[in-house]
Amino acid sequence: MKGMQKENIKITKKNKTKKDVIAHRKSCDAKGTGLSHYILMDKKIK
Amino acid sequence: MTTKRQTRKDNGTCASSGSYINTGNGSTFMPIDIGHPEYIALIEPDTAFWSLVKHEKLSSVLTEGKLFKAYKKKAGVFTEEMDMLRFGLKPSAVYFNPTEKCNLDCPYCYIPQKMRHDGEHMSEKRLIKALGLLKDYFKRTLPKDTLPQIIFHGAEPMLNRDAVFAGIEQYSEDFRFGIQTNATLLDDSAVDFLKSQNVSIGISLDASDAAISDRTRINWDGQGVHTKVIEAMERLRGYNGWSVICTITNKNMRHLTKLVNFLHQKEVPTCLMNIVRCTLPSSLEVKPNDANAFKYFMAALERTYELYLETGRKLPVGNFANILLAIIAPTARRLMCDISPCGGGRCFFALTPNGDLFPCSEFIGLSQFKGGNLFKDSVEKVLTSRPFSRVTDRKVEDVEPCSRCAIRHFCGSPCPAEACEMNGGMEQTGAFCEFYEEQVRYAFRLIADDKHEAFLWDGWGDDTKKTFTMDLF
Repeated sequence: MKGMQKENIKITKKNKTKKDVIAHRKSCDAKGTGLSHYILMDKKIK
Repeated sequence: MTTKRQTRKDNGTCASSGSYINTGNGSTFMPIDIGHPEYIALIEPDTAFWSLVKHEKLSSVLTEGKLFKAYKKKAGVFTEEMDMLRFGLKPSAVYFNPTEKCNLDCPYCYIPQKMRHDGEHMSEKRLIKALGLLKDYFKRTLPKDTLPQIIFHGAEPMLNRDAVFAGIEQYSEDFRFGIQTNATLLDDSAVDFLKSQNVSIGISLDASDAAISDRTRINWDGQGVHTKVIEAMERLRGYNGWSVICTITNKNMRHLTKLVNFLHQKEVPTCLMNIVRCTLPSSLEVKPNDANAFKYFMAALERTYELYLETGRKLPVGNFANILLAIIAPTARRLMCDISPCGGGRCFFALTPNGDLFPCSEFIGLSQFKGGNLFKDSVEKVLTSRPFSRVTDRKVEDVEPCSRCAIRHFCGSPCPAEACEMNGGMEQTGAFCEFYEEQVRYAFRLIADDKHEAFLWDGWGDDTKKTFTMDLF
């Protein structure tokens, strides 16, 4: 529970810093195969 | 790299050196009101590059050039990335319909009613043979370390349970399996088997209350199946590999927030809340208007955020998460409906019980989009057939107003089946436009407020690398 509270505080603090310009982008191998009728999550299945 | 999107500036006939934005060969940056009190978006549509600029800084950003110089250094990389994503992928998944039949008669289904009522099962023998042919195809086309996906889909695949389960058992080393089901036949033994095989399970539920859900999720006698679905959800609780799909219609949109509460309480790992597809005319009866649908959809998304703050547990709404990813990491998309060309016929294709191949399940009721038959034709030949290329060649650049829309690569102008059937041609838009506009605007507001990670699933960025960062104070 403590961990969750810390996360909440982190989110609130983050919002206080406002930059003049925000721009970022990430890249990876494209592997998307889902469609509006189905999504395959790549979470580890128990 | 020569691409289908090659433009005049590549052929050397224009003398402009591209020093200035928005003139000559300079990059095109379009300012977009995102409805945020402090920020406006600047978007370069072709490369899906974006920045958020404080309103009072817009003039200096446009004239000082720091942002644009940084962008220019990366523009080639971004262009290649988008070209690869849009034109360079090979199929790695098959939506496999093991039966035409369904035990439900939902009004928005894209499989024709007669087919769902009177259709045929694929025999176990044919299903095993089909999986063998698909295994051979993927062996020819995919890298050795890539496991292709087979998603049993419908109609209702669990009506042909014995054949499906036999296929999963026999080919468990060759494919990652998934199943999308209405959940009415997910009894204890079915769930135990699917869990034991690590099958990804998607189930359908349109509302938390039976009275609402049973407006659309009904059997052939008009009886709702809500209770059965809730029973199946209890069986799935604690399993990581399941998700819930809700179809947003005018029958349930007012109750989406309540559904979020319910799904979160049931510890559903992820969900989709998709606006109804209007490929077949029966869907039009439950089609909501864009503005109303988005109002309720956004309220549901906001509720997932509140629940995350309250509990520390996310409920990612996959289709919205995908819009966020389209913005912050275009290649990390999981769904391929909101990129143009869409994933139909190029990232995946659909197989019917008699072996017919279509670019996507959405086209199964439209015989003119049959590209061939798995038992008679090579998949490679089918992928280049005219019915497939009609879909794989549909680009936002050829659709109005998408060709001049700044967010064309965040939305992708879905869906070609809708465009063709509802609006009369591939060069038309699909059933919704403003719904996607508003989603993108909302996504940018979340990024501006640095809240967006709360809407994405944990670990989404594990395999990504940063390709651009600029935070100017």
